Amino acid sequence: MADQDNVETLVFLQPISVETGSPDQVGMLVMANGLLVGVLVRLDAPEHARCGAWFMEVGLGRLAGVRAPVFDTLDDATRWMRQRLKS
Amino acid sequence: MQDALIRKLESYEELTDADRRALRAFVPRLREVPARTDLIREGDIPSNMHLILDGFACRYKVLPDGQRQIMAYFIPGDFCDLNVFILDQMDHNIGTISQCQVVEIPRKSIDAITAQYPTITRAFWWCALVDEAVLRQWLVNMGARSPDQRIAHLFCELLLRMDVVGRVKDNSLPFPFTQTDLADSVGLSDVHVSRTLRKLRRLELITLHRRVLTILDAEQLKAYCGFNPNYLHLRNARWSGRRQMPWLNRVQGE
Repeated sequence: MADQDNVETLVFLQPISVETGSPDQVGMLVMANGLLVGVLVRLDAPEHARCGAWFMEVGLGRLAGVRAPVFDTLDDATRWMRQRLKS
Repeated sequence: MQDALIRKLESYEELTDADRRALRAFVPRLREVPARTDLIREGDIPSNMHLILDGFACRYKVLPDGQRQIMAYFIPGDFCDLNVFILDQMDHNIGTISQCQVVEIPRKSIDAITAQYPTITRAFWWCALVDEAVLRQWLVNMGARSPDQRIAHLFCELLLRMDVVGRVKDNSLPFPFTQTDLADSVGLSDVHVSRTLRKLRRLELITLHRRVLTILDAEQLKAYCGFNPNYLHLRNARWSGRRQMPWLNRVQGE
């Protein structure tokens, strides 16, 4: 069976600054197969429980409205997003 | 021991000495329940009513993916399930947030007291009505207020409710809720809660330190979220005149 799992989703990150009303401004646009699927933001405000971790600020399409966990690394975040996009 | 309950009921109705005696004579089972413990779970058959005498509890549901939604906070003097105990089966969970002193009141004791004491019955009705009004307010909060206003509104509400039962000192109240508890109560992520708390602190509206919430400027905080306490229907509030219900007295007098 030519199932879709064999087709790797091509995820591409593009740095961007994000206005969050807080010091968390370093962000990444997340493109999957050429479509914008989300915005990741690094948690830099010292008040956060996990400073330096990555947070899915916005999810689009299949990621819309999903409450994602906070990720230690960008790799963890994109891996999680890719899995969600596949399922 | 039932002082929190009596204070709360008196915020709705003027109780007589006999009413107070009846409430004090409840022969309840008092339990110390640790924090983060379910009092009753979805699917259980409720037989007793739970009254919180000390501590905080909440009403919540868990979705199949594990996401929790908190629908109500219970503070000292609150019944967790004034009407729920009539249900055949629980359709949600009730659990503690902090360590709690909980009284379990058998269904028949409630039946007995409501049969004999009409003022207490009416005060119970007020409790149920205000619980619903609070739920409506939470619905408005989630559907229509900005994230910052949602949390500010929740703080204003807690300040007033805790004050009624004498648990506010110098504008400070115990606050055992985690950021995740708040997030699950107002439909936000932990990150958004953390940012909002930061903002409210920087505006010098609140401090949150060692599990104590201090409202530094209650008027400003109320203005910030457009807080109108009318839905709490407190007897000493300015709209209490409307609560006289002359038509009811007339009907009863006939």
